[in-house]
Amino acid sequence: MATRSPWQVMWSVWSALFLREALARLFSSRGAWAWLLLEPIFHIAYLVIIFTIIRVHYVSGFDTGLWIVVGLLAYFTFERASGQTANAINANKSLFSYRQVQPIDSMVVRAFLEVLLLSVVAIVIFSAAAMLEHDVLPHDPFELFLAIFGLWLLALGWGLVRAVLHDLVPELEIVLNFIMKPMYIISGVMVPLASIPLPYRDWLLYNPVAHGVEAARAGFSATYHPVSGLSVSYLFAFALVLFFTGLLLMRRFAVRLVTA
Amino acid sequence: MIVVTDVHKRYQTDHGLGLWVLKGVNLTIPRNVNVGLVGCNGAGKSTLLRIIGGVDQPNKGIVQRTCRVSWPMGYGGGLQGSLSGRQNAKFVCRIHGYTSHADLQDRLQYIKDFAQLGESFDEPVKTYSSGMKSRLQFALSLAIEFDVYISDEVTAAGDASFTNKAAAAFKGLADKAGLIMVSHGEATLKQFCQSGIWLNQGQAHWFEKIDDALVAYKESLPQ
Repeated sequence: MATRSPWQVMWSVWSALFLREALARLFSSRGAWAWLLLEPIFHIAYLVIIFTIIRVHYVSGFDTGLWIVVGLLAYFTFERASGQTANAINANKSLFSYRQVQPIDSMVVRAFLEVLLLSVVAIVIFSAAAMLEHDVLPHDPFELFLAIFGLWLLALGWGLVRAVLHDLVPELEIVLNFIMKPMYIISGVMVPLASIPLPYRDWLLYNPVAHGVEAARAGFSATYHPVSGLSVSYLFAFALVLFFTGLLLMRRFAVRLVTA
Repeated sequence: MIVVTDVHKRYQTDHGLGLWVLKGVNLTIPRNVNVGLVGCNGAGKSTLLRIIGGVDQPNKGIVQRTCRVSWPMGYGGGLQGSLSGRQNAKFVCRIHGYTSHADLQDRLQYIKDFAQLGESFDEPVKTYSSGMKSRLQFALSLAIEFDVYISDEVTAAGDASFTNKAAAAFKGLADKAGLIMVSHGEATLKQFCQSGIWLNQGQAHWFEKIDDALVAYKESLPQ
């Protein structure tokens, strides 16, 4: 057998890890795949029903139900991908005994798998919405894609940083957990950021996830008026800084991370 | 070729950092030579093998490998209990470059036959007995083609017929690839190895002839 190039090694590791992770996520217990998909679907359906029945039908030019759906899916992209990334090292520690497998590999693969699973959730939900005669075609698919990609990159960066911090100071995990708890609320998933008075709205806009969520909605609906001050560049700048900080930390603590 | 440069290693214990096991090991191991590693108990033989095989990292210093080097044969850390033997084997084959369907099936068949797991090959590894697990581990090491194999006291567990088969396979390896091995059996070392490394007080000494390494080792022992 000829010696493989580093790219070939990386690619075979990624595909092997992907299959392994997918297998573990989907078939680890009876019906695991069904729960994996049903959990976010119920979560979203729940909120949509509460909001559309109790509250108004339009949020500044957007079908309320879809406003929630798009916002939640965008938020889930961040939350679930960052959670999966942050846990990647602990869950795969035994695999790092194979020299080919590096922590970063399992993180990238996990974050990618999570987006793939969420896409299936999105397809199910949008199909259901289309059957209920909602307009489910995004008006600017590229902008929508950009917003989701930005959130994904942010999740990966945050997951990287978090994984390293967790390995160095395990107690930090508890602190980060309660710092991140209100994320759901301050990202404007349920409350339109535009309805929050100044100067508090500007404070909330320091949160890059809020930009991603709003940008996804703006990409979805032509008539939606997103919060003023929305900046996709801010999201990407934040994501890239986190991502490279994460890579730097991984490089610095590479040996420490793979030794038990 | 494997170049070990200034490798230091100590372990973290519950009471802080332990003593230095390896204190500046420098070695150049050619590719096509079988090497025996000797030294008294606790000299760091297994530690050095693990570092060369890449399943452990040195605190200081580097190991460069310009050929394909195995993990220590029979090393069990990389098996995942919830996945079946076949799934574990597939993963290991894939990351080592057996990605095409034909290659993969061929390797899996070999592993299944060699490990004599039968139907259990498709059961989760956590349900395996220790003998079954070590047969699988040994078969995995044999199934992947390396230029240099690393073996730490390989006495593959199992019944008599498996032990014989494993010994025969091991002889086959020694002929076609390089070998770095630890064994306390002098006869085994002389049978398989040409050269030797003597580990003493955290330092490594290279001997072209295994006999010289054994002599140096024996002279160091308290009379």
